[in-house]
Amino acid sequence: MTLPLVQINNLSLRYGDFVALDDVSIDFMPGTCVVICGPSGSGKSSLLRCVNRLENFDKGDVIFDGQSLKAAQNISKIRSNIGMVFQHFELYPHLSVMNNITLAPRYVNGVNRDEAEAKAHKLLERVGILDQAKKYPNELSGGQQQRAAIARALALEPKLMLFDEPTSALDPEMISEVLQVMRDLARNGMTMLVVTHEMGFARDVADEVVFMDKGKVIERNESGGFFDNPQSDRAKEFIDRVLQKI
Amino acid sequence: MDFSVINDNIEFLMLGLMRSFQLAFFTIILSLIIACFIAIGRVSSRRSIRYPSAIFVNLLRSNPLILIVFWFFFLVPLITGKTLPEFHTVLIAFVVFFAAYFAEIVRSGIQSVGSSQVKAALSTGLTYSQSMRLIVLPQALRNMLPALVTECVIVFQGTTIAYVIGMREFLHSTSLVAERTVRPVELYLFAAFVYLVICFAGTRLALFLEKK
Ligand SMILES: Nc1ncnc2c1ncn2[C@@H]1O[C@H](COP(=O)(O)OP(=O)(O)O)[C@@H](O)[C@H]1O
Ligand SMILES: [Mg+2]
Repeated sequence: MTLPLVQINNLSLRYGDFVALDDVSIDFMPGTCVVICGPSGSGKSSLLRCVNRLENFDKGDVIFDGQSLKAAQNISKIRSNIGMVFQHFELYPHLSVMNNITLAPRYVNGVNRDEAEAKAHKLLERVGILDQAKKYPNELSGGQQQRAAIARALALEPKLMLFDEPTSALDPEMISEVLQVMRDLARNGMTMLVVTHEMGFARDVADEVVFMDKGKVIERNESGGFFDNPQSDRAKEFIDRVLQKI
Repeated sequence: MDFSVINDNIEFLMLGLMRSFQLAFFTIILSLIIACFIAIGRVSSRRSIRYPSAIFVNLLRSNPLILIVFWFFFLVPLITGKTLPEFHTVLIAFVVFFAAYFAEIVRSGIQSVGSSQVKAALSTGLTYSQSMRLIVLPQALRNMLPALVTECVIVFQGTTIAYVIGMREFLHSTSLVAERTVRPVELYLFAAFVYLVICFAGTRLALFLEKK
């Protein structure tokens, strides 16, 4: 029997008095690609940030690969096994694309520079921007920056990738190049949690869809079923709204 | 007016100027290093670190530099029973005082970098201190360079305060020559010119960095 890679148990998170996550319990199996959707402010980003403990949750726990994050002393080590991709890329503007990617392998895993660069070379090739290696982030288009950010997240060979609205800040013509990279990752068996409004991606690539509202998980379904036969009214309403926009 | 007095005493005057430069140089280096730690303390999420840093900064910024110098010159020897050479006394006072000012500059530089960069760095497995050193401080430094250069000019002008405890910095040397030669107009004009040139160069540099 395979064990879940991520187990979220009775997780609650507050910002002051505001309850952002309300007793969430859900788990994710290795090798699956799960899309998390829901209205703005429903707690999707907060949930992702709990999975690598960028947020300190109040109650409950996240078990990643058998380790409790709440109890973890070596959280940096655990985080190095979890890649994260942000809406606004968050590349380091003072470093070249190459150095953006090699930084963590060198400082976290102590890989020497040559080895790290050889690895980065392969990753840049994989995301299709090898020719941009020497440039600085502000010299790249949005789509190229996001692909560089994905390469940076992959550099430590993570077991899990978290994507927080990776295409929301992109011009429409650049969305597909980023989705293509993500699709290839999913095909190659990467475990992925993807917050996105790209319903095409959810339907075609994701194995499952999780629907959140007001800090709770409302519904979880395999992706075909979610769109064709949503169980809750809120999910129905949500699907109608996002599909209308397209 | 006879400016030959300048030429006749140039060696003595330049010795004073060197002393001023030395004081400014060591003050800037040392207080900037301390300022980085205090600034990181100021943005810490832990109250036990944040509050002492804030108290240090606000206490020192609410006192004039000359008072801090007096403190170290008169009171520290009283308390410890030891006297330091005047250069060291002034240097310590300057470093403590200007560390508070530099800390505020570094803090606003750090805050200009945004917490999402820290999140990105942490997410790759870097520790908090690695994230600060490798990601936040280099960007902060770039953003705060103009303000830093301006503060360096202020440090240089501040070295004249060392006069009050008898250190032979540039202004003191000038006044000694002025008294001896009874040519105060020429000498103080010369001093004003030297401070003007240095201040002007610093200001231009700050402007240049701001545009870059
Ligand atoms: N750092 C924070 N401080 C206070 N409130 C926050 C913070 N981050 C998010 N929130 C609030 O928590 C709620 C959930 O946010 P988020 O997880 O970003 O939702 P989503 O990603 O689904 O839009 C929102 O109402 C948001 O305003
Ligand atoms: Mg969000």
